Amino acid sequence: MSRFERLSTEGGQLDGSGIDPASEVPVRTDIDAQVEIYAKTITTNEQVILFEMNKTLTKFTALLGQWLREKEDLLMRDLWASSISYINCTGGTNGDQPSNPSLQDFNNIETILLGNDARTMLASLDAMDKFSTGPTRDAFICLSHTNMAADFQKVSGVLLKANYAEREGLRPEEYCAISRFRVFVSSKGISVPGASLLGRTVYKMPMYGVEAAAKIEQNNYSSVIGYRPPWVVSSVAQNSQLYAKFAIARAITNQNWVSGLNATTTQAS
Amino acid sequence: MAFTLLQQGNFTSAGVGVRIPLPGSADYFVTNNLTQAITQANPGVGVKFEWYNGLTAADAAIEWKKTNSTDALNMVGITSGGFTYVTTYPVVEAQAANAITAITAASPAVFSQTNTYSEGDIIRIYGTTGMLQYGGIDIQISTVSGSGYTAIGLRASGLTAGTAGYTRRISRFSAVLPESLYVTEITKASSAVVRTSIDPTLVYVVGMKVHFSIPASFGMTQMNGLTGTITALSSANYTMTVNIDSTAFTTFAFPLTTASPTAQLFATVAPAGASTQYNTSTGVQTGYDFNSQSFRTSQFVPFMYLAAGAQSPAGQTSDSIVWQAWKKEN
Repeated sequence: MSRFERLSTEGGQLDGSGIDPASEVPVRTDIDAQVEIYAKTITTNEQVILFEMNKTLTKFTALLGQWLREKEDLLMRDLWASSISYINCTGGTNGDQPSNPSLQDFNNIETILLGNDARTMLASLDAMDKFSTGPTRDAFICLSHTNMAADFQKVSGVLLKANYAEREGLRPEEYCAISRFRVFVSSKGISVPGASLLGRTVYKMPMYGVEAAAKIEQNNYSSVIGYRPPWVVSSVAQNSQLYAKFAIARAITNQNWVSGLNATTTQAS
Repeated sequence: MAFTLLQQGNFTSAGVGVRIPLPGSADYFVTNNLTQAITQANPGVGVKFEWYNGLTAADAAIEWKKTNSTDALNMVGITSGGFTYVTTYPVVEAQAANAITAITAASPAVFSQTNTYSEGDIIRIYGTTGMLQYGGIDIQISTVSGSGYTAIGLRASGLTAGTAGYTRRISRFSAVLPESLYVTEITKASSAVVRTSIDPTLVYVVGMKVHFSIPASFGMTQMNGLTGTITALSSANYTMTVNIDSTAFTTFAFPLTTASPTAQLFATVAPAGASTQYNTSTGVQTGYDFNSQSFRTSQFVPFMYLAAGAQSPAGQTSDSIVWQAWKKEN
């Protein structure tokens, strides 16, 4: 992947002398990512297929499909965890470094992203005449761990998902909106044990706008789920195999449009 | 079903821990020390080490150990210095917490701590007393002895000395490379020299672009959000030179202990691609190193971590080690 950086906006005025302005050499930034291939197999004995009532091959196929998407998510999580800059929350009250999150911490990241001309990911949700609901602004994404959920509820100005004016089409993982961010939580979110000043688990929360990162799939290779029959797998045709396989390359495409917060929780961890 | 020898390999010990990738995982793992098998050392050393998946605790092993000065073998269980089977990454190999007794207010900072760390290990500092602003940072250590080590990347002159705290050895790399690094110093110069808490040559190469995140608490606010190209790297000093003129910037300084925990931490630098340059006169292309600058998985998992030493599976320096990974298919 590559992109051309903006041209300088300095100067450029023609003074009428007939002298041409200096030419500018465009700068291209190359972003590389290695294609990696991942696979998983399940070997099943014919007796399981014959005697088990639960249609095991169908269920195993579904399991492999779930593994495939979970693995993709975890690989992207690892990219967020490793290759971007995080700033510690300091506005919380738990006395740790980083602290539990506060509104000022979220506002700080919004300032960073806006200052770098990042664009929001999600459209605004308009207000409606429903009690206890409110609008959300167009927003950046914030990914976090489910262990942070209780702390999000305490952040000033938080709008829990139940209080959105419009809930159609929302993902189950979405938890709330804080400042200019819509927050999504997962039990597989980024956590770093024993990494705070006081030795608490630190939760890293990547926060980003559009085109900050990329997940690239290999042409004609992505998301293959296959079956190897018993006469291929086993010399006496008793074992069969199901497999899932996919290729992926991942990259941070623009560090200006991604930032993040380190936080600890006020809950026991 | 079959009990199969899945993989076999060998290596010559360098006296340090070894990671062995196991694509097919393992249910039984064994090493034999071919060098020590033909010696009768005094004291006796371990010649064979065994591990069973799910039955052997982390960092433990069954050790077949020679008695002093003879070939007679004793089988003993060891609870440390054995095998650690790592299935997720980054995970720490044998990551026991270890107490610090002092951190000097010097540049570089020197740590006093009874430890078993190796040269170049990366450790995480936390629970510090005195030097609070470094609580939570990851550092690389050198000049390691059993009683302490030096952190080239930590510049602590003028700060309050640390009087206590804890460390924990962590994995050498993050899950994905190139990774972001902690910035501990930036000079004011026509080409700024940036020091990081670990050796930047481990993850960056000349020609790569890096993006700076410098919180206001570190002073050099003009550097925040800038992207520069690395023009030089120093493994000896943990520094990189970037094509950013910081001459007129305000001074970079770590926040004081008295500002903790409200001063924002940390200053970091993150990979931001590269600009390929092709010199048509010399035919030399720079700024492109696919093996180093591309985003990629840092460490294959699962792997087996073998601790080093006379009573450990990775052996002592120059020992010839052969290993086997077996798999039970049921």
